[in-house]
Amino acid sequence: MSPDGNQGSGLGAFTGTSVKRVEDHRLLVGEGRYVADVVPDGCLHAAFVRSPFPHARITGIDTADAKRLPGVVTVVTGAEIEALTNPILPFLALPGLYTPLYHCLSSERVRFVGDPVAIVVASSRAIAEDAVELVDVTYEPLPGIGTLDAALDTASEPIWPKAKGNLLYDHTNDHGDVDAVFADADHVFTETFRCPRQSNQPMETRGILVEFSADGEITVRAATQAPHMLRWQLAAYARKESAAQAVKAFATNTERRTAFVDAAKSFFAERGEALQASDNTAMQTQMKTDPRTALQMMRTGAQLLGRDDYPHVTADDIGGGFGAKGSVAREEIAVAAVAFALGRSVSWIEDRMENLMDGGQAREEEMTLSIACDADGTIRGLDVDLVLDQGAYPGNPIGAPITVRIMEVMQPGAYRFEAFRQRSRIVTTNKGKYVAYRGPWANETWARERMVNVVARRLGISQTEIRRKNMYGDEDFPATMLTGPSLDVTCSVRKTLERAEELADLPGLDALRADAAARGKRLGIGFASYHEAAPGPPDYWESVNPGTSALLDQPATASVDTDGKIKIWTSQMPHGQSHETTYAQLAADQLGVGIDDIELVYGHTSRAPFDLLGTGGSRGGPVGGGAVRKVGRGLRAAVVAKAADMLEANVDDISIVDGNIHVAGVPARGLGYADLAARVVADGETVEGKDGTYAFNVEDTYTSAGDGGWSVATHVCWVEVDIETGLVDIPRYLVVEDCGPIINPAIVDGQARGGVAQGIGAVLYERAAYDDDANLQASTYMDYLIPTATEVPRIEVEHMETLSPGENDHRGVGEGGMIGAPAAITNAIEDALDVTVNEQYLPPTRILELAGVIEPD
Amino acid sequence: MSDTMNETHVALGGDTTISCTVNGQAVSVEVPVRTSLSDMLRSALELTGTHLGCEHGVCGACTIVLDGAAVRSCLMLAVQADGTEIRTIEGLATDGTWHPIQQAMHDHHGFQCAFCSPGFMMTAVAMLEDDPNRTEAEIREELGGNLCRCTGYESIIDGVLGAIAEMRDGDGGVA
Ligand code: FES
Ligand code: FES
Repeated sequence: MSPDGNQGSGLGAFTGTSVKRVEDHRLLVGEGRYVADVVPDGCLHAAFVRSPFPHARITGIDTADAKRLPGVVTVVTGAEIEALTNPILPFLALPGLYTPLYHCLSSERVRFVGDPVAIVVASSRAIAEDAVELVDVTYEPLPGIGTLDAALDTASEPIWPKAKGNLLYDHTNDHGDVDAVFADADHVFTETFRCPRQSNQPMETRGILVEFSADGEITVRAATQAPHMLRWQLAAYARKESAAQAVKAFATNTERRTAFVDAAKSFFAERGEALQASDNTAMQTQMKTDPRTALQMMRTGAQLLGRDDYPHVTADDIGGGFGAKGSVAREEIAVAAVAFALGRSVSWIEDRMENLMDGGQAREEEMTLSIACDADGTIRGLDVDLVLDQGAYPGNPIGAPITVRIMEVMQPGAYRFEAFRQRSRIVTTNKGKYVAYRGPWANETWARERMVNVVARRLGISQTEIRRKNMYGDEDFPATMLTGPSLDVTCSVRKTLERAEELADLPGLDALRADAAARGKRLGIGFASYHEAAPGPPDYWESVNPGTSALLDQPATASVDTDGKIKIWTSQMPHGQSHETTYAQLAADQLGVGIDDIELVYGHTSRAPFDLLGTGGSRGGPVGGGAVRKVGRGLRAAVVAKAADMLEANVDDISIVDGNIHVAGVPARGLGYADLAARVVADGETVEGKDGTYAFNVEDTYTSAGDGGWSVATHVCWVEVDIETGLVDIPRYLVVEDCGPIINPAIVDGQARGGVAQGIGAVLYERAAYDDDANLQASTYMDYLIPTATEVPRIEVEHMETLSPGENDHRGVGEGGMIGAPAAITNAIEDALDVTVNEQYLPPTRILELAGVIEPD
Repeated sequence: MSDTMNETHVALGGDTTISCTVNGQAVSVEVPVRTSLSDMLRSALELTGTHLGCEHGVCGACTIVLDGAAVRSCLMLAVQADGTEIRTIEGLATDGTWHPIQQAMHDHHGFQCAFCSPGFMMTAVAMLEDDPNRTEAEIREELGGNLCRCTGYESIIDGVLGAIAEMRDGDGGVA
């Protein structure tokens, strides 16, 4: 019996129940293995010399004093590291986009406060930090570009000289006859919405440990959401072979070459048409702007393909990521390159100041929205002008380009627009890099849901009525968004809105307002609704960028070892989402065993099935979960077949209950998994799998056909604004979500609440602040304010579980809380103050300005 | 590490010797004088359950119980801990049986990534040992110095309320 009573009683016993977490047995007693916990004795420690200037030329760098400090092993500058590493290459091409090539350390120019210019390796972290102080860098400051206006000014100093300006991408798409719809509509309303820079801020910072075993084998341990991605990038960038060497190695490694050609053939066979239909000029701008790109790509590609002995990457427990740890850090490449060169173990555990400077920032966008509508409240046309600030360096591999694509595709939301135009611009500034942050595209929801409320206010209709009137409902399906993706019943946004209206007790609102007013407060209510692709249909991903529907594939393995122990192998990389529990629920139900009879294998690239993205994009339930169910089913079939053979019965008569595999009705004559495994061994039927020999081993890839559909929600926020102090209190917050059938309700609630808390932070507390010259203003937790238990209220979560015809019908919930919350909160504040709110960030001073209590600065 | 009688001695190439009691065990540790208490616990004593989220005293992940009070081990030097009695997350369970706070956090799905969890649980233990009669508002106030980025706090607060119920009348408060 498991300590939690998690005993299996057969199919379907666990899925849908709040099984207690398997992970807790090590995490709650202090036995977690986060990367900083496994740094071995004798390991060297790295620290970085970082730019104090937003933008400057490096005219000199002197490392002699630092190298003389006892305990210092080496100091490597940006110029020196170019002999050890390849430049980081563009990952996602968009037509017209220029992506700069850059190294893991900067040599001639620094581009943001915190830009690493040298790495120090020493016997302790304290000594490494002392040595950082002794590195003497001479800078010649350049003008810092700290605002969107400065970046868009063609006269501004180009941060990337090859780009000839700081506007890197400018593209407009029309969906439908936009001009005609705008000309025909009764009204056009326009507002500009601004969201400042935010930061993911997982409680565990980034970190990497490159470990050499006694016999020289290298293992890289890291706080990463995507171990396979890190492994490939380290192989590509953290060592350098000459082009001739690389090409020769590739040409002579026939096995590797054939495998590559086969994989490429099958990739193009599946996606060739879509790729061709897309703008295959996407790389042209890149090549024209920086001709080195082609050469570097070929050289790096050959280097990757020429060998297969790259060090393995592994991750254990991770203290959150929220997208930031899906990026490969420049620091990780530098640490690995230096460790490989030294042949010694080196670790780098980032500190919080570094994390606030360079650990990933997000969301800085300005969006001008025009909505064309009729007098009766029918909304008809949408025109959006988006400018996104990607900071100094591109996110690697996920950053601004994919984000602007998703923002465009999702911008119309679940509303029946007749026409939609989007202009998207990406600018570079002297700020920290823009990365994916929980629902990276979320500002499309924020700006749209704000604008829908603006229209409602101007027309004098309620925020719920305008939504109900214009949203798709069951009667409209199947439907297609103007931007391409198809919608089915799982796009149940309007149902969540209607349920939210019931639960919100709108008739009681006047009494609440009066009560608040009696206490000197102003009460407001805000609604916001969205749908997100988790997993989304294949035409969603093809609309975002051709080829990205590969994100709907995920491999997994289910095995029974020769002792009868069941293992599920996933390419997901858990970092707080409780995969060990939810995947055990899915597998235990397939296999008729208890939760504790399942071991989840993940993390180590020699064992985790290959998937570049790891965990990200709310794919854990829909795609990773689909893969677990698929291999679980396959394993059950194999187990049942063998048992039928042993029990001389028909496979249809075999049941598995509590791990007892038996002919239905005669459990007393049943077999355990260990009995079955022993028999497989005796019969000489074992199979080879990853890491050993198994009685059963089922490897398969699940491809979501998209029939799992959309994950949706409506958020409702009540605020009380104190116009004496500018403080905003949230007396009630309601989420009505529909992610289909739920695997573990307590875990879904936790994801929703955690996301909402980050949304509350975004609106009321958090800002990765820079001044206009791009000097960082928030480099400690005294300046970057994360909301605490005194600010985050209880959050009601109501579930709806619309079924889809899908094979795997569990939809994603990782990002939704953060997508809906900023819109619901700012809509509520607008309602309370009865003024138009154009910013996402509303600290007390801004609230007082909006309320007319103080003059704007 | 060497154990003599009932004292554990650790030498980490330091110039100062600190003697204290950690999770009921007398220890003496030689460390460089500038070593922080958190580094001493994590590196010299290998008690890595105490986490470092900010190292500037704001996140609370490094919270331990020192002479009965919740303190931030990143803000104290190891030398300041000489002669004190320290408890860390590793010392909460007794003979493999979880402390009520651990059980309640498990029952209420308290944590996700759990990086913040040692700080929350040690803060809660000090608070409840001081006075177990706490309202939700008081608990929120007391835990207001600990940051969690994953949960939105509700599950953690429910965990503390569950532990209070358990400690009061053996009812874990789980519906
Ligand atoms: S690590 Fe000590 S308070 Fe954050
Ligand atoms: S559970 Fe992840 S920071 Fe609290």
